[in-house]
Amino acid sequence: MAVLSTQGLGVAFGAKKAVNDFSLEVGEGQLVGLIGPNGAGKTTTIDAITGFVPATGAVTFDGTDISSFSSTQRARAGLGRTWQSSELFDDLTVMENLQVAAERIDVKGFLRDLVRPRNDDLSEMEAILDSLELTGAAGVLPTDLSHGQRKLVGVARALAARPKVLCMDEPAAGLDTEESQALGRRIRSLVDGGLSVLLIDHDMGLVLTICDYLYVLDFGQLIAEGTPAQIRADKRVITAYLGDRHGESEAEANGMPEASTSNLQEGEG
Amino acid sequence: MTFVRSWLTPKKIPAVVAGIFGVVVLVVILANSDQTQAIALGLGGGALIAAIALSITLNYQGSGVVNFAAGAVAMYGGYVYYGLRVNGQLFLPPIPNPLALVEGVVHLAGDKAFSLPHIPVFITLAHPGTGTAAYGTVIQQPAMAVWAAMLISLVVLALLGLAFHFLIFRPLRRAPVLAKVVASVGLFIVMQAVIVLRFTSSAKSVSPILPSSPLHLPRGVRVPEDQTLLVLIVIAVTAGLWALFRFSRFGLATRAASENEKGALVLGYSPDMLAGVNWVASTVLAGFFGILAAPINQSIDPITITLLIVPALAAALLARFSSFVVTTATGLALGMATSWIQLISNKSWFPKASGQALPGLTDALPFLVIIIVLAVRGKSLPTRGSIETVKLPFAPRARAAVPTTLALGIAAMVLLFFVTPVWRLSIVNSLVGMIICLSLVVLTGYVGQISLMQMALAGIGGFTLSKVADAHHIPFPFGPLLGALAAVVIGLLAGVPALRVRGVNLAVVTFAAAVTIQNLIFANPAWSGLKGASVKAPSLFGFHFGPNDPWTKPFSGGRGLLPNPWFGVFCALVVMVLVLVVVNLRRSRIGRHMLAVRANERAAAAAGVSVAGTKILAFGVAAFIAGLGGALSGYRFGSVTSLYFGAIPSMIFLAYAYLGGISSVSGAMVGGFIVAGGISTTIMTNWLHISDQYTLLLAGIGLIFMAIQNPKGVAGALRDGVHLVRRRMGRATPGHGLSSPDDVSPGPLQSATAEAGA
Ligand SMILES: Nc1ncnc2c1ncn2[C@@H]1O[C@H](COP(=O)(O)OP(=O)(O)OP(=O)(O)O)[C@@H](O)[C@H]1O
Ligand SMILES: [Mg+2]
Repeated sequence: MAVLSTQGLGVAFGAKKAVNDFSLEVGEGQLVGLIGPNGAGKTTTIDAITGFVPATGAVTFDGTDISSFSSTQRARAGLGRTWQSSELFDDLTVMENLQVAAERIDVKGFLRDLVRPRNDDLSEMEAILDSLELTGAAGVLPTDLSHGQRKLVGVARALAARPKVLCMDEPAAGLDTEESQALGRRIRSLVDGGLSVLLIDHDMGLVLTICDYLYVLDFGQLIAEGTPAQIRADKRVITAYLGDRHGESEAEANGMPEASTSNLQEGEG
Repeated sequence: MTFVRSWLTPKKIPAVVAGIFGVVVLVVILANSDQTQAIALGLGGGALIAAIALSITLNYQGSGVVNFAAGAVAMYGGYVYYGLRVNGQLFLPPIPNPLALVEGVVHLAGDKAFSLPHIPVFITLAHPGTGTAAYGTVIQQPAMAVWAAMLISLVVLALLGLAFHFLIFRPLRRAPVLAKVVASVGLFIVMQAVIVLRFTSSAKSVSPILPSSPLHLPRGVRVPEDQTLLVLIVIAVTAGLWALFRFSRFGLATRAASENEKGALVLGYSPDMLAGVNWVASTVLAGFFGILAAPINQSIDPITITLLIVPALAAALLARFSSFVVTTATGLALGMATSWIQLISNKSWFPKASGQALPGLTDALPFLVIIIVLAVRGKSLPTRGSIETVKLPFAPRARAAVPTTLALGIAAMVLLFFVTPVWRLSIVNSLVGMIICLSLVVLTGYVGQISLMQMALAGIGGFTLSKVADAHHIPFPFGPLLGALAAVVIGLLAGVPALRVRGVNLAVVTFAAAVTIQNLIFANPAWSGLKGASVKAPSLFGFHFGPNDPWTKPFSGGRGLLPNPWFGVFCALVVMVLVLVVVNLRRSRIGRHMLAVRANERAAAAAGVSVAGTKILAFGVAAFIAGLGGALSGYRFGSVTSLYFGAIPSMIFLAYAYLGGISSVSGAMVGGFIVAGGISTTIMTNWLHISDQYTLLLAGIGLIFMAIQNPKGVAGALRDGVHLVRRRMGRATPGHGLSSPDDVSPGPLQSATAEAGA
């Protein structure tokens, strides 16, 4: 039973169709990858699923059609996400970033807080930080962290909201190979613990090893789907990544490339 | 409804609204001629509104600044011309004279006769001649010819434009919207203060420049020639600008720059140069029309033209800060509509208050236009394509808040009983000012929503106290609370449409709301009387502690103390409670949500934060605090007048709060310290012998300076100073850990990161 699915999802920016008639499914406790070259529409897909761009088609989450929900409502329903560029709250410490995601506000709590703010139980959030090797960072401002650490804080913040499904937009970008593998293991263990994940990443080595199932987008169009083994063998995927439509320089500029395409070939070979 | 929504694409809105205006005007014109007459008389005002709106649009295109001071520039131009033409004198803005300090010190030492050279106030270029009119009265002839005075005025305006660009807005290129708005508000305050200093705030009569014999139109309608000429000139200017921006490389480059700064570079222009040229053009344009239009009412004063900024903003907003044609059409239409509303206000069906036509409805019209445009258009309004590298000031969590608040509060209370009346009053003024500043800390500092209506909301609090609580004998603690709740209602009414707008547009909405509230309620003689709504002194269990209830020290046997120190004690108690509430707000979950919304709205939404809910809550809390402050202020003055509770005071209070430090509670304390009539003014007048007329001027200049130099405000600078001293003394506080997020020294983790990165 799919916990998250889209039916005929479409997003247009003016005349440009960034995502076109895309249906996907993320099963309960499944780790699903979404890959594709730069500008394929991956981020736009997550934006549409989490309510940040107007979209056609339907999004079903946990058995309910959430197409008409606001982004906040989707988040509260248990649909979390991370951002390609971290998007942390720079005026709040790392721990406060997590607290924002974890806490809900009600009238009673609000009035009580005005008189005497409660000291929240931070142990769960400390555990999340520990698990992402951010232990010492709790009291630091995000602006004082390295790029890779900021990405991890973004993941930690999303986890702090205890989501049922987590959409991750390139969480490993900016991490070195070792860190990225550690993050992969961490994501895998979260999924084994019951979380469902939709993962975007350009690191093919990572995606192909940890995902249960993959969707491949190009120019907003689904060009392949299947298990990692099937994707490795798919001719269209290989052309999409190596084809002349995507300039070498563009791939390089976006920090993607060469390594991952070679990963893909290695995988195939 | 869905049909309307799908058909009414944002692009069509200006045309549709302009069309509706046109049809209404046409119908009315065809209906009868006395209405046509009224509308025709609004042409001159409309032309001035259009010119100010064009000036705003030019600024926006050139430098991404929405200039709240555009009306003030027009007014300033009018005065420069007036000074030259009538007195032959070019007035200079006050320039700080270091010798004055020396003089002050010598005076303190006792030698009152000691005098050093002063910087001149006026440069005299020509002397007015005198002539003898009939009946032997001596009348003054203008000192300077029209063309000469006009020419010099325009040169002065051009220089002003350059100064604005180089001294203020160029350094603010990459600053957040708030800083730019704040700087233009500072400019507004400074220009007004300069004019009041040099010419007083009373109106001066001016002789016409354009011929004013009436032109006769069909059906007996007469239009004064000067108004027709003004309209023709503004239309010509509009056509010129349209052509310039459409066909010339300069115009193309400016348009390109307003989308994306690289665009201008591609066309071979530096965005900086474009901004400068547009600043000069916009000040000259606004000032020129200020000069021409002032004589239409036969007089010039520092307020009337300045406040035309509201309809002008409405026109510019409708035209998306880009179309000159729509801007001018809307400006003219607003001018005519205003004058038409004035005409129909004596009809029997027109809303009345105590038999008099409700004033202020003419101001409500541009407000309505603004609200409707923003509500329909919402998020699609333009944001300029330049990168903001500077953020809003950091909002630290107060440390040791309770002991500090208690210590300072008690110290203030004790002081109240020992200082002279002047100082006692200034402490009270500062305490009341702190409350208003606290409300801005919540709304603007924590949530990043710029409000230019906090003093109007405060006035609602005071007005309710006067009209509802006093009238129905609601006893003391409930009266102010009722006032605060009324402010919440109005604050939310203004806040809900504001949910769809952000940044500078919110500033526009709230400012228009403030003008409307001020003219509809506080300046309405039917409701507020000629001296404002009176507020009865507070008393609890028979103990009277209004500021004007004398209080006699026990056993002293002397005369009663005025103002009553117990009123100050009461104010101090309120401030202490509110300080702790706002400190707690910052420490609690709602405070974190507020800062999250301020930092990044979409990330906040993704974290499950209700962005709209958080903003509404902030509007409500801030309005409550402001309303309470207004009630105290009502007690303090004994009345609620449009002088203290209007649009301009709201601007000025934003200035104080920003100057103090908009994003921290300690900043609000400093803000209260520096309000007009507060402790710092008293220090200035009593110790430094600087006239309190300079308070506003200094506040305005300080505001601009602060916007450019140090967005953390005085309180932030003090905090940094303390850190620096601590570090120098080798007692560096630990750089990480939850207790000190605002510590400036790099903590172990940060240095580790830096090393790892290296
Ligand atoms: N707000 C927008 N307005 C117009 N076009 C957009 C917008 N956002 C994205 N696009 C376009 O939609 C297409 C898909 O973009 P998207 O960001 O989803 O790609 P992506 O697959 O995430 O790429 P990357 O790997 O670079 O992150 C791109 O061509 C992009 O230029
Ligand atoms: Mg992307």
